[in-house]
Amino acid sequence: MAGFLLRRLGHAFLVMLVVCTVTFGIVHAAPGGPSLLADPKLSIAERAAIAERLGIDRPVPEQYVRWLVRVARGDLGHSFLYETSTVSTIMARLPATLLLAGTALLLTIVVAVPVAARCADRPGGWLDRIASAVALGAISVPVFWLGILAILAFAVHAGVLPAGGSATAGGDFSLLDRLRHLVLPAIVLASAGTAELFRYTRESAAIQRTRPFVRTARAKGVPESAVRWRHAMRNAYIPVVTVIGLQLPRLVGGAAITETVFSWPGMGRLGIEAALARDYPLIMGITLLVSVGVLLASLLVDLAYVALDPRVRPDA
Amino acid sequence: MPRPTWRLSGRLSGRLSGRLSGRLSGRLSGRLAWRDSLRLAWHLPWPPQWNTARRHLPALAVLLLAAACGGEQQDKSSTEAAAGGTLRIPLINDPIFDPVIANDLGSILPNKLIFPGLVRPDEQLRPVPDLAESWTVSDDGLHATFKLRAGVTWHDGAPFSAEDVKFTFDQVLDLASGSRLRSDFAAIERVVVNDSLTVTFDFHAPFAPFLTLLGYNAGIIPKHLLQGAPLTDATDFNRRQPVGTGPFMVTDVTPGASVTLARYPRYHGPAPKLDRIVFKVVPDLNAQVAQLRAGELDIITLEPGNLASVQGVPGVVVLQVPVVQHYYVGLNVQRPAFRSAAVRRALGMAVNRQAIIDGVLRGYADLPRGTIPVALADYYAADLAPTPYAPDSTLAILAQAGWHRGEGGLLRDASGAPFAFELLLDKGNPTREQAALSVQQDLRRIGITVTLRTMEFAALVRDRVLPGTFDATLIWWTTPPDPDQYAFYHTGQDNNNVRWSNPVADSLLALGRATLDVKRRQAIYHEFQRIELADPPVMVLFYPREIQAVSSRLVGFPALGIRDALRHSERFALRVR
Repeated sequence: MAGFLLRRLGHAFLVMLVVCTVTFGIVHAAPGGPSLLADPKLSIAERAAIAERLGIDRPVPEQYVRWLVRVARGDLGHSFLYETSTVSTIMARLPATLLLAGTALLLTIVVAVPVAARCADRPGGWLDRIASAVALGAISVPVFWLGILAILAFAVHAGVLPAGGSATAGGDFSLLDRLRHLVLPAIVLASAGTAELFRYTRESAAIQRTRPFVRTARAKGVPESAVRWRHAMRNAYIPVVTVIGLQLPRLVGGAAITETVFSWPGMGRLGIEAALARDYPLIMGITLLVSVGVLLASLLVDLAYVALDPRVRPDA
Repeated sequence: MPRPTWRLSGRLSGRLSGRLSGRLSGRLSGRLAWRDSLRLAWHLPWPPQWNTARRHLPALAVLLLAAACGGEQQDKSSTEAAAGGTLRIPLINDPIFDPVIANDLGSILPNKLIFPGLVRPDEQLRPVPDLAESWTVSDDGLHATFKLRAGVTWHDGAPFSAEDVKFTFDQVLDLASGSRLRSDFAAIERVVVNDSLTVTFDFHAPFAPFLTLLGYNAGIIPKHLLQGAPLTDATDFNRRQPVGTGPFMVTDVTPGASVTLARYPRYHGPAPKLDRIVFKVVPDLNAQVAQLRAGELDIITLEPGNLASVQGVPGVVVLQVPVVQHYYVGLNVQRPAFRSAAVRRALGMAVNRQAIIDGVLRGYADLPRGTIPVALADYYAADLAPTPYAPDSTLAILAQAGWHRGEGGLLRDASGAPFAFELLLDKGNPTREQAALSVQQDLRRIGITVTLRTMEFAALVRDRVLPGTFDATLIWWTTPPDPDQYAFYHTGQDNNNVRWSNPVADSLLALGRATLDVKRRQAIYHEFQRIELADPPVMVLFYPREIQAVSSRLVGFPALGIRDALRHSERFALRVR
């Protein structure tokens, strides 16, 4: 087990190095450069002074090595846009994203798995038909469109939920207020993932239910709910866990859009802002953090396999 | 690198622009590809095809509500009638609280409230006293002495003095401080503190725009908190705890979400009427519109394409104000085809600007003369006839310059080369994309082939406009409310991107910025605009008006662009409904 973990960590380190190098290359190759320099009113002297202050007057490979050395020392540098440390800029926005993505992921699992298990009982039944149709819709609709529609319906027309933000701006802290702000973005962000997870789980469960051991369990007189949850679903979970693991990058990407539509003060929006402004240190900081998160999630998925299925051995 | 072709977006914009052919409109409506609708919903107001969807929304809303919210209701009116009240304004990004180093819109707006300047613009955009009580300028124009208001305090209680003014302008002039205002104030030689409430500016040469610029972005910053380190390093001050002398002070900053300002009880002027002003970070314009309609914002500025989504909404008033901007097609004078003033003028005559103003800008713009916009009422040459729209008479002018209509009606020179050029513009703004399409179509009509190319704004500016590697570009200048355009149109200036050069204009521009007498300045800039009509430096398309959608509860908001209006925040009030 320890060897497995070590090997995985080694892989993760290599993957991150590749991700960082590629990202660094891409953002520097993108046309335009930092938005600070894009002000057409700057004089040549002012432009040179800014480039020197930001350290972007040096060759790109040199900038990369400097960045790597700083990262090795635990310093992610200064954001161009925010004129402050990249780490504190990201940390100020991370909790909001974790809250939103976490709620969405929870919603996804809590809604998709039980519904899918029921649907797999009676493929083609009324619940299955309705759920499959809704899922198809949820997968097809783009997140931003669903978001704007939700704002129109619940904030503009019905006026029951706020149109954006994570709390009433300038208001005192109130749990109810926070929850009211969380409802729409969490549902919108969860929708596509829920639909996807539902479809995988339903397929997987439906297949398991036709397997001989299920018939055997029934023949032995095992109650139907135990057949479903202990026998069929337990085996159905393996592909489901994979899909849940794959939700993380999707949540990060989806969060960027959801956060923009709902003015949610999270990291996804920060990432878009940083990319548009070519805020190199901030882009790299977010990339680093997100890739750590994704790699960690895939490690957890692998560990979950072991827990779920005794046939999977990490050392094999 | 694959680039979205112009054809696609062109057709789309065409669908939305009132003046383009109805054939395209018919073909496209009702069958938008996802990619197209993505583009639309991201950049444009509610697409018209949603109107049908919206009619059914209330029913859908009720249905989904029962499931999702368990009937959770809140009485909206109860949150709305607090005495004094809170005004909510959107920002597109988190601000940096320092007017000297931050020149993005998200920073400029709150900084106008927090950091007053020595003067501020009145509703005619003329400078009136703010932190300075009065001033005198020496006869030779080389010294300006300001008497500061007594009893002004910083938000931390420390007294404001002439030392702060000197400190601010020393920082402005020091590039190492991160200053973004240096080119505005490069004429200052030094700042001398005479006593704690008197300060003198010495100039290298007389500099007429000085007073206007003082009221523009040059807020005064506190020496006692910022001295000793580069301004860009003062992270706590810049991001969390700014201290100014304005009517409102920052009490809370939530990164990515909001900035809350409360009335400053010891404000030196008349007591502010509002209790609080909250800036909400809402980067997406569609989201801003939705929040305005939901009563979560009180004032937003719009693109003409968004008008339909706020017109007729109860409790929302749409206002328009001319702003100090000119939008133009810059023709690179270094390109042989554009060297001749007659050719540049002819191109201007071939473009139907009134149609762009009516169709693309829905009338929210003014017809241009030279490059000095209507908003500068004292200097705008209203009596000069604008360049006429006369496409037919352009052919004779172009023939004289060696361009003759050949096969397919295309203009060609003696060697048979066609008159063709590339027009660059920034990506993602429907107003400018539609205006560029109009220019393209109008010029095609006289036989000139224009290829449109969109780029990200930063790439456009840095890679093409500044190095001068472009044929033509659709771009704009936002200037302080002063007619001085020396930096943009004087020969050899860094910002003269089209490389225009006219010796008479050069001397007028130099004289205009050195002449303090308003009457004489008016004559100088009148003459400058007359020259611009004969020898156009750029093809000005329109002078835009800022479209403001405002809560009908807001009173005391001056008829100014939002940036300048915020200099008068102590007058704002919210009516109780």
